[in-house]
Amino acid sequence: MKMKRKNIVLIGCLSILLMAACTNVDEVVYDRYPAEDFYGTPEGADIALASVYAEIPGEFVRNNASGVGYAGADNGWYDMNCMASDEQVIPHRNTGDWQQDFARLHKHEWLPTDFIINNTWNWLYKSIFNANLAVSLLEDSRADEAKIAEARVLRAFFYYLLIDDFGDVPFYTENTITVDQIPQASRKEVFDFIVKELTENVELLSGTKGGNFYGRFNKWAGYMLLAKVYLNAEVYTGEAKWAECLEACLKVSEGGFNLHPAITDANLPLGNTYYELFGDVLPDDETILAIYATLDVLSRNIYTNRSLAGSHAQALFGYSGWNGTIVPKDFYLKYDDNDIRKQQYLVGEQPGGVNYTLDVQSIDSPGAAPQAGVRNIKFYPVTPRTGGGASNDFPIYRYADALLMMAECHVRLGNSAAAKPFVDAIRERAGLAALTTNPTLEDIYNERGFELNWEGHRRQDMIRFGTFLEPNEFRGASSDYRKIFPIPTSALDANPGLQQNPGYEN
Amino acid sequence: MRKKLLIKNRHCLVKAIHAILLLFFVTSMHAKSDTTSRKMYGFESSNFIIQQLTISGKIIDENGMPLPGANIIEKGTTNGVVSDYSGDFSISVSSSTSVIVISYLGYKNTEIEAGKHSGVIQLELDAATLDEIVLIGYGSSKRKDVTGAVSSIADGDMNQGAITNPLQLISGKASGVVVTQTGNEPGATPSVRIRGISSLIGGNDPLVVVDGIQGNLDLLNQIPPSEIASMDILKDASATAVYGSRGAAGVIIVSTKKNKAGSSSLEYVVSSSLDFIPKKLDMLDANQWWTEAQRVGVPASANHGSNTDWYDILTNSGSTQTHALSFGGGTDKFNYRGSISAILQDGVVINSNNQKYIGRIIATQKALDDRLTLTYNLNSGIVENTGTVQSIGRASFTSNLITNAYMMRPTDPVFDVDGSYFNDPNVFQYLNPYAVAQTVVNEAQEDNLFGSLKADLDVYKGLSVGWFGSWRKTNYTNGFFLPVESTSANAIDQNGFANINNSSQNEKLMNISLSYKKVFGDHNINALALYEWQNQTYQGNFAQTRGFINDITTYNALQLGDLSSVRPGDITSYKNDRTLISFLGRVNYSFKDRYLLTVSMRRDGASVFGVNHKWGNFPSASVAWQIDQEPFMRNQKVFNELKIRGGYGVTGNQQGLYPQNSLSLVGGSGVTYFGGQQITNFNVIQNANADLRWETKKQTNIGLDFALLKGRLRGTIDAYTATTDNLLFDYTVPQPPFPYSTIKANVGSIVNEGLEVSLGYDVISREDMTLTLAGNAAFLRNEVLKLSGSINGVPLNTNYVPWGPNSYLIEGQPIGTFNILHHTGKDNSNSETVQDVNGDGVIDQGNQSPDRLLQGSALPTYTYAFNPTFQYKNFDVSMLWRGSGGNKIYNGLRSSLSYLENIGRSNVLESAVNLGIETSQYGSDLWLEKGDFLRLENLTAGYTLNFNDIKFLDTMRISITGNNLLLITDYTGIDPELNFSGGNGFGGDNGIYPRTRSIVIGLDVKLK
Repeated sequence: MKMKRKNIVLIGCLSILLMAACTNVDEVVYDRYPAEDFYGTPEGADIALASVYAEIPGEFVRNNASGVGYAGADNGWYDMNCMASDEQVIPHRNTGDWQQDFARLHKHEWLPTDFIINNTWNWLYKSIFNANLAVSLLEDSRADEAKIAEARVLRAFFYYLLIDDFGDVPFYTENTITVDQIPQASRKEVFDFIVKELTENVELLSGTKGGNFYGRFNKWAGYMLLAKVYLNAEVYTGEAKWAECLEACLKVSEGGFNLHPAITDANLPLGNTYYELFGDVLPDDETILAIYATLDVLSRNIYTNRSLAGSHAQALFGYSGWNGTIVPKDFYLKYDDNDIRKQQYLVGEQPGGVNYTLDVQSIDSPGAAPQAGVRNIKFYPVTPRTGGGASNDFPIYRYADALLMMAECHVRLGNSAAAKPFVDAIRERAGLAALTTNPTLEDIYNERGFELNWEGHRRQDMIRFGTFLEPNEFRGASSDYRKIFPIPTSALDANPGLQQNPGYEN
Repeated sequence: MRKKLLIKNRHCLVKAIHAILLLFFVTSMHAKSDTTSRKMYGFESSNFIIQQLTISGKIIDENGMPLPGANIIEKGTTNGVVSDYSGDFSISVSSSTSVIVISYLGYKNTEIEAGKHSGVIQLELDAATLDEIVLIGYGSSKRKDVTGAVSSIADGDMNQGAITNPLQLISGKASGVVVTQTGNEPGATPSVRIRGISSLIGGNDPLVVVDGIQGNLDLLNQIPPSEIASMDILKDASATAVYGSRGAAGVIIVSTKKNKAGSSSLEYVVSSSLDFIPKKLDMLDANQWWTEAQRVGVPASANHGSNTDWYDILTNSGSTQTHALSFGGGTDKFNYRGSISAILQDGVVINSNNQKYIGRIIATQKALDDRLTLTYNLNSGIVENTGTVQSIGRASFTSNLITNAYMMRPTDPVFDVDGSYFNDPNVFQYLNPYAVAQTVVNEAQEDNLFGSLKADLDVYKGLSVGWFGSWRKTNYTNGFFLPVESTSANAIDQNGFANINNSSQNEKLMNISLSYKKVFGDHNINALALYEWQNQTYQGNFAQTRGFINDITTYNALQLGDLSSVRPGDITSYKNDRTLISFLGRVNYSFKDRYLLTVSMRRDGASVFGVNHKWGNFPSASVAWQIDQEPFMRNQKVFNELKIRGGYGVTGNQQGLYPQNSLSLVGGSGVTYFGGQQITNFNVIQNANADLRWETKKQTNIGLDFALLKGRLRGTIDAYTATTDNLLFDYTVPQPPFPYSTIKANVGSIVNEGLEVSLGYDVISREDMTLTLAGNAAFLRNEVLKLSGSINGVPLNTNYVPWGPNSYLIEGQPIGTFNILHHTGKDNSNSETVQDVNGDGVIDQGNQSPDRLLQGSALPTYTYAFNPTFQYKNFDVSMLWRGSGGNKIYNGLRSSLSYLENIGRSNVLESAVNLGIETSQYGSDLWLEKGDFLRLENLTAGYTLNFNDIKFLDTMRISITGNNLLLITDYTGIDPELNFSGGNGFGGDNGIYPRTRSIVIGLDVKLK
């Protein structure tokens, strides 16, 4: 009996011993990197910089977020800005195709709940998070100052896009802080930050064009961004900065840019080398900042295929088009027939038994007829290309834009004679005669439309030139508050500390 | 770090094995000294008998079959024997007035005076359910001693027919246990919810325990339904708390059939069914379509002049066959049972089928003078599936393949003039579903294997020690090939693509337990202490290529694709795991068999939580009072059984939480262009939360068990309230500063309250005829109490979270509450109009829009079943009616098929013509319907033949079953039994694989 009791005690002790040794529930990660270890190296800091650039190309979905990127895909920044202007819209079709949020953008009836607006907001703040991360990691690892400057300029770029669209926005530069520590800064405050960051950092950037710096902010792209910020300073702050803009543009010119030659070549799909500016690998002579795209590997460019009717694209490329985007006739009809830039528009009979009409009866309810509307093939699809898009790179900034900005500054500063050569250079490349008089602001505004259509500049230009609220064929005059987009409802719900923009409050 | 952990874990196992060996040694030592006194029966005792009377005889069961292994004891003595394999026995008793007691599990004890013994003793089945054995987790208990809410369904009470998944056996049989079958796709498994939905992140699936092996619901699909002896469902927390870490959503304990000691058996069960589609939607035919199309100005070019019934050509009648061959044998020290089963399904949609084969063996060996019991279990299964495509369609509509048939214009031909599948480039992303069905290759294979060893050792007078180890591996491979000729835009863009998806599960579990049973006087104690360790590892890889020059190799030679067109995401792999460690203590105490108390405490650690929050405590306590045992009840005749139960317990949920959520991690995210080249892009993958902790569910249960009228009326009533706190969920966080819009955290809470009633009444209870009416009902109230709060001082403002089409999580409302625009009519251009509730002239479609109205929930508030059974001699018939209601369904498919503006590219419902809505910008309550239904789920008639005189043949049973013979509902869709799982997306109908009606013939042959 005694012995048995001993046994029991023995077993008990043994069990307790056993249990004490087997209490390890640490988590083991096999297939990912711990963030601290990963970013805590110089290579990690470099990768962080690269991952800021990864936010810029457009994509349908990236990291579970839809409508991301600057341009190339849909439902994001590009659509929000371009469809709100007079240059393009996707009408609801009377065959039930296409939802109506694009038409709402075009009719200036967009809602704070529209997901394109939400996508844009989320994309910009995800990008700023990445940029903040890159700045702090590069600084911590005492990286090359050019790299730190590059990350800072990138962050300024995203803040510039934010104030351009949304006005007063939450502003933060350290990822470690909490939401209550993030003020909704005024447009002016953020503007001042952007100017300060750019003036302090742009000069530190590399002067290399193309190659390693294709698709990156080099010095010239940095100055171009600064010029853009100054160009719209009056809209953002009430105080114009034309001379500063001009100065920044002149810095851009020091990069040795030219207008890419426009040579007629029947072998090219649009008959002219001008359209190389919108093809694959954009030419360094004119392109200042590009988005690199290779379909299904990195981003895409959907803009031509989204425009063309199904059987039309089928006849041209062997895959079906989306029958989406059209160009409002008022915009199209402004072009001179001799303008090589008019070749990007299609109206009338086309291969595949399609006949595009100039007129569009309705863009929302009951909607446009299937073949209504002028189409655009500026980004003529380069391979690899499929029904899901093509591989055309996208020009964020190019020198033609800088020339027109300089022209605008000269006119605004009262020196329209100085503006004339810039405008003429653009016109002459397009196969048009030089202006017979010194350019007016309206000439410049129109020329910007002809040259830079579908490149993401039009809404900003219309606001600056005061045409944004004017009525068009699909709507009457719109209200002043529409010059700024509303803060998306979901952002307000998540952060009740945010103030909705005027006009959008309930 | 990784290596260290592996070694440590191995140490655990090694130590455990050492411990067991040591215990064997220790016990075998004193087993020697103990042998004689422990002999209960046997011939040794005959030494002490002076006056002897030997009687012999045969024990038979209710069918006249010999019962081997029955205990025959001389009453008041320790003198006893066991019947042999042919049921024969011989016992020497002290006198002719001695009484012998014959006992056998599941049969009533029979007492016979030795002098009056005539030779053959037939035992009577013990029908009293309150005496049955109930599995309560790490042990068993008599039904009358159970203090928690436990439903038990034994073999004989289960649903019959062509059963493909064990859950079908218990559908409608237990109150508060809702088994939902959405469509009858071959291989598709039903879902089950016990007492509603108490978690949002997943983890609403109950834990499944099969002969001690724990697993998720998929484990249930890996065991043959015909080999199940009983299923016990632990519903309340006082019962499930012993499975603390995985028990929050309830526990289904499955016990498989074992061979009776000392007998041998051979049985073959076969069923064959013919499956039909009982209902399809009424679409326009070719003439109607063209009439309507012309009216809205569809050009003649959209009419391709055919007359195709797309749904018809994509469907046929299906069949289901089940075969099970089982056999077993053994002696009193050893017995085994083996079985092999096949479940073969051919679906009602063309080219969809599933074959499941399961082989299993279970063996029990006694040793060390019966003090050691080893139970060994090995189960191996193979599943081969050919499936239809689950998600495909045009840009404007995505659903499963068969639902795409409804979209098709009836005038479209199947084939073009050149013999290729018809495709229309003027319809954006046109899809010819027949082409997909015929050209897609979508094959899946699953191999699963699980085994366990259980060792129980009686150490000393009521103290026993147990060791249990199980290992379960599942490998899954899916091969997919979609060629250009399928007409899918995705396939055309890629010039055809193929992929192979491999995944594997590797689950190990080990526990060591000490248990102690002791009766002193009126006190009865049963105590358990247990240590458990488990690890689940998930691994997988995926590879894809595209651009094949022909279709010959389908997905079998990915290297033959165009390797120059590799995309990010074409090659991926993953591995993650979770480790759980638990300590459990439980005491069952009863006093005078009337006052029962169960107390348990479990401490669990889980690797998936934040570093300082891995451990949780899960206590429970429950009491029961057997009123009928009280002296004052002795003289009443009303109640045969009367028991009141009450319990409280806390359980935890971690299984719904994916590993790695508490950590800040970097993963791949496509490629980025940097430094003049494409390089791999890295990204922080989530908003990490280092404070992730256990989601806990606190449940209180009060129950009443009763039997009246000599046990002819039996019932159970339970009422409960369960609150889930520290609710794991993806809470909304502000962007900025978070890079993603949600974070996993423990903030909110949900409450479920319910009432459950089960009743059974024997209307006729005669020797040769019985009629039993059984039924159950459950009422459930669910409410999201809280979603907002804060983590680390950051306020979270989570509310009106979309949870399905127009359904939301809203504080103060049930899960999946419809918050939806109200349909008012149509305007002049036949566009739908909705109510502008706040009258601001704008229809706000935001989640929290004031224009939306609360209109009920997607969650049923009541479920019920009615189950009459009738038996006359060898003939029996049973019925199962099952229903639920109180919920709403958003019929998204009806809306998609109703807008007349789509008629140029799609077919529309017949009802759309009268509705006359051209277009709509809204998802309004026009499409919101009641989800109430009542289904005649099962009707079975059977006849059993006993062959006492035929050599080889023992019994044979022939049965015929009709499934889903009648559906009573106002719902206009195909079937209202949709996704009630409570996960995101529920409450909507976007088209389902057809729910079939079937006629089954079954045959069950037992051989001698």
